[in-house]
Amino acid sequence: MKSRTKKIIGWSVVALIVVALVVGIILTDGMYTSSEDISDVMQDAVLHEENQVSIFGYNVNPGLVSAFVVTIILLAAAALIRIFAIPRFRLVPGKFQLAVESIVGWFDKLAKTNSPHRNSFLGAYIFGAGCYIFAGTLFELIGAAVVSTAGNSVALPAPLSDINGAIAMGFLSYFVILSGGIVSNGMRGVGRTLKDFSLPISMSFRLFGALLSGLLVTELVYYYIALSFVLPVIVGVLFTLLHALIQTYVLVMLTSLFYGEVSESHVKVPKEKKKKAKAVKVKQ
Amino acid sequence: MPLNINWQQILLHLLNLVILIVGLYLILYKPVKKFMKKREDAYKEREENTRAALDSAKAKEEEYNSRLAGVEEEVSRKREEAAKELDDVRSEKLKQVAKEADDMLGAARERAQKEHDRIINGVSDDIKEIVGEAAEKVVMTSSVNDAYEQFLSAAESGAKSAHAGRKKTVTSMSKTDKKGGARKKK
Repeated sequence: MKSRTKKIIGWSVVALIVVALVVGIILTDGMYTSSEDISDVMQDAVLHEENQVSIFGYNVNPGLVSAFVVTIILLAAAALIRIFAIPRFRLVPGKFQLAVESIVGWFDKLAKTNSPHRNSFLGAYIFGAGCYIFAGTLFELIGAAVVSTAGNSVALPAPLSDINGAIAMGFLSYFVILSGGIVSNGMRGVGRTLKDFSLPISMSFRLFGALLSGLLVTELVYYYIALSFVLPVIVGVLFTLLHALIQTYVLVMLTSLFYGEVSESHVKVPKEKKKKAKAVKVKQ
Repeated sequence: MPLNINWQQILLHLLNLVILIVGLYLILYKPVKKFMKKREDAYKEREENTRAALDSAKAKEEEYNSRLAGVEEEVSRKREEAAKELDDVRSEKLKQVAKEADDMLGAARERAQKEHDRIINGVSDDIKEIVGEAAEKVVMTSSVNDAYEQFLSAAESGAKSAHAGRKKTVTSMSKTDKKGGARKKK
């Protein structure tokens, strides 16, 4: 009896969705296209030359606004957890406590695994950066709209799809790695870090490219309203979730690896051994 | 700048990131890690306590086992000592009983000898009296043959009377003993 009721409810929901989609397609102009040219839209998605947002009199990219909003959301969520959840933590954790502890524990373990010598600061950094990248990437799913200086409606993108945001993240990660090198090995650590001078650029543009590609695909899909049904479920939600996870993992993993490499303590090799090793090499 | 790179916006992003990372560290990461460390320490402490309790239990078990072995040795030693003491007491008692038996036998022998001597002495006195009487009669008779005949007849009669006398004496002694026993019984 119960299974029959469930079946009826399920099929009713499916039928309602189909009807809603058909009604939506009929009522809207299926061949509607934006007044802007597709090339202009995509160029603006990359460069933000036209559609900027004004904050306190400064014209900034929508990505910066997204960054501020994501930061506020994350800090508010953290404060709520700190005030209401953490004081109620028990030795045997519940589901929510387990989730929070698993996230913190995963970043802590990653830091300890990749940088066994010095990892407390690294753990805190990759936790913050990971949360920011993940939440920021998922933020574009909300699609909160703001009015640009040109008067157009702009959906707030992922903060790291803004080149300035990606550069900031790349350089901050590089500075964190550099600081680990200096604290652990002094000038030797600086040398080791500067050796990988291309790291901030590669990190920045990797993030930017990954997130921008998602943004461009989304812009392309939404440009034609006929494609705005069903398809965004796959393109928008699944792809965004997937590359949110991937980009978070890639950046925190790279940062941890380089940090561990430069903060590794240097072992002095005695001169005699060096000479012997050279002699052996010469003989060979 | 190419690609609309704006240093001011980069710095704003950096400031935003620093605030976020410091905030998340202070509000979330540090307290959660502190709690996890506290729990880890609590479990470590429990483990150490359990290990210490197990060690002490093991040490006590060993101590009890060694004590038990000592007690068994002590019991066997005590048993040996008791057996030895029992043997000593038994042999002492046996010696005492043997000595008492010897004493009783010796006393009985002495008493029997005394009785024997007394009886012998009594018989010789009677013989002396008979001989004396016979000698008087011989002296008094005229002829030797007569005298001899008289001596023999006198001796015979003397011997009979002596035998009767002894019987009387024995009878009287037994009567005396019976009387003594009756007294003793009383």
